[in-house]
Amino acid sequence: MEIVVAVKPVPEAEARLRASADGSGLETDGVKFVLAGYDESAIEQALLLKEAHPPSTVQVLSLGPAARCEEVLRAALALGCDRATLVEAAPSGPLADPMGVARGLAAALRGKKFDLLLVGKQAGDDEEGVVGSALAQLLGVGYAGFVTDLRFDAASGHFRFRRTVERGTELWEAPVPLLVGLQQAWNDPRTAKLPAILRSRKQPIERFDAASALEAAARSLGAAFALPAPRTGAKLLDYRSPQEAAEKLVRALREEAKVFP
Amino acid sequence: MVDFSLSPEAESLRDMARKFARTEMAPHAAECDRTPRFPEEIYRKAHELGLMNLNVPTELGGSGLSLFEQCLLVEELAYACGGMTTSIIANCLALEPLLLGGTEEQKQRFLAPFCASYHLASFCLTEPSGGSDAGALRTRARADGQGYVLDGEKCFITNAPHASLYTVFASLDPALRHKGICAFVVPRDAEGVTTGKDEEKMGHRASSTSTVRFDSVRVPASDRLGAEGDGFGLAMRTLDQTRTPIGALATGIAQAALDHAAAYALKRESFGKPIAQHQAIQIKLANMAQQVHASRLLTWHAAWTIDHGARGTLESSIAKCFASDAALHVADEAVQTFGGYGYMKEYPVEKLLRDAKLTQIYEGANEIQRTVIARELLRGYS
Ligand SMILES: Cc1cc2nc3c(=O)[nH]c(=O)nc-3n(C[C@H](O)[C@H](O)[C@H](O)COP(=O)(O)OP(=O)(O)OC[C@H]3O[C@@H](n4cnc5c(N)ncnc54)[C@H](O)[C@@H]3O)c2cc1C
Repeated sequence: MEIVVAVKPVPEAEARLRASADGSGLETDGVKFVLAGYDESAIEQALLLKEAHPPSTVQVLSLGPAARCEEVLRAALALGCDRATLVEAAPSGPLADPMGVARGLAAALRGKKFDLLLVGKQAGDDEEGVVGSALAQLLGVGYAGFVTDLRFDAASGHFRFRRTVERGTELWEAPVPLLVGLQQAWNDPRTAKLPAILRSRKQPIERFDAASALEAAARSLGAAFALPAPRTGAKLLDYRSPQEAAEKLVRALREEAKVFP
Repeated sequence: MVDFSLSPEAESLRDMARKFARTEMAPHAAECDRTPRFPEEIYRKAHELGLMNLNVPTELGGSGLSLFEQCLLVEELAYACGGMTTSIIANCLALEPLLLGGTEEQKQRFLAPFCASYHLASFCLTEPSGGSDAGALRTRARADGQGYVLDGEKCFITNAPHASLYTVFASLDPALRHKGICAFVVPRDAEGVTTGKDEEKMGHRASSTSTVRFDSVRVPASDRLGAEGDGFGLAMRTLDQTRTPIGALATGIAQAALDHAAAYALKRESFGKPIAQHQAIQIKLANMAQQVHASRLLTWHAAWTIDHGARGTLESSIAKCFASDAALHVADEAVQTFGGYGYMKEYPVEKLLRDAKLTQIYEGANEIQRTVIARELLRGYS
């Protein structure tokens, strides 16, 4: 099976975020970019399928500034992906536009054979959730989002998967090729082993030039960006046992917030 | 040109160790300390991810890291738990004599199957009658034509109750002092090998420490490392390699103490302001930061020196001695910054103080490190 996973470098969870001086976006200087949880789940799903259905290959694809993308691509290689492709794009411009990202990725994939294309159901940072469905539209393949537990039935050539939505869990079947947006953290993404991390630093990264597709793509651009104003009024309670936490909380609710008598 | 920046490769190794330390080790550190408990499931996972046999070449199933890379990882692990780190890196100490003194055949025979799955090994040098004076060890190795018969007792041996392989130092004749010492590889299941009870320790309580007895244990000559009488030199060359990571371990404990102290100082108030705004606390934090930074750089420098082919006895002794003294001091100041809460087991800093203490004692007590530093130093003046 030929599996492709598209991943987006996002600021690591512990990063201290600031708006850039010109107010156009995040200040990314000194910020470390990593794989988002959704994308880790997507890679884990790809590797599970690869292991269950040999011979399969997993290609990982990332669009964005080279240095950032290279880090997440190498992280994916260390986890067990076979090939990595970088679609280079400047940090602003088309990147701010999910349709632009979809067009860049589609250009890199057009004419290539794949059975399954995996993305996180949304990005780990802006949580837009558009690229997957846009990409499916551009490539003319079927799409399902919010997916967990994707399996392949070799006999029928169909994928079977679950979608857990508010009203319950749906079971689906769909033929290849298919594009899927995966839920986060339903599987337990593996940790890369140390020798694999070292090996991944030496593996080649293919480059795809999507300049023309990206140029044509820029439709909507972010105009200004600001972090939410710091909130005030929160009170932190120090406690050393659950009992103490409960007592202090009840006292604060009763005596200070006067929520109940 | 000197370069203090980390390569992307080194950074990714450090990030991986950091993630493991914070997600797998840290959540269990307090419980393993209190109970105490030897968290084998964590050590198994460390092995699986390649965090265990760091110094063994990849061809033999280890991770094949430079000493510098080992130090980066060890600092991250120790940040989460000193005791677990001691047990995780004990294999490096135990296997180093094999790497330095073993023949190709011995390395293949012992190391390849050992590294292929989760196994622990112990380095058996210290004896009840003395550790610092390793030349005076009393465990006997009697040659009997076909091999050797070992008799004696070792103490304070890390991981001994759980290990499957021991590297053992024993004397052909105590009257020969250093020149009579041989090194052997002894499997745990050799007849006559027994381990004592798990010692009740002040710190590093997630690690396991016990005596190992050898009662007429037969060892074939093919399991001796190097020539007869090479054992003492092998032990010293081993410690030259493994001392620097103890500096890194101490740095990890000190960094954790500093981080806890700084965070607490920003949030604890006295006399109407956070204690971080009192100059006495600021000076404390500033001094702690200097000690942590210097410890790290000394450790990096010692590792770099050894990675460039030098023996690095002076540099590694300085790094180990300084960083361990610093760790104890920084942890002490962290407890002081926490005030009464610092003395309570519910808070993490008193453990750091107890854990830091060991780094001054094992792998060559700091008195011995200073003796070594002075000897190496004075050589340059005489
Ligand atoms: C938790 C733990 C784990 C350990 N793990 C291992 C292990 O895996 N393998 C192993 O072989 N050993 C291990 N050790 C032993 C450790 O290396 C020794 O405890 C250490 O080398 C000191 O030896 P000693 O305890 O016999 O002290 P001694 O040698 O009796 O020294 C007592 C004191 O006298 C000082 N002193 C001794 N000689 C001199 C001198 N010439 N000049 C000035 N001062 C001197 C020492 O510095 C020390 O302060 C471990 C110890 C502990 C506590």
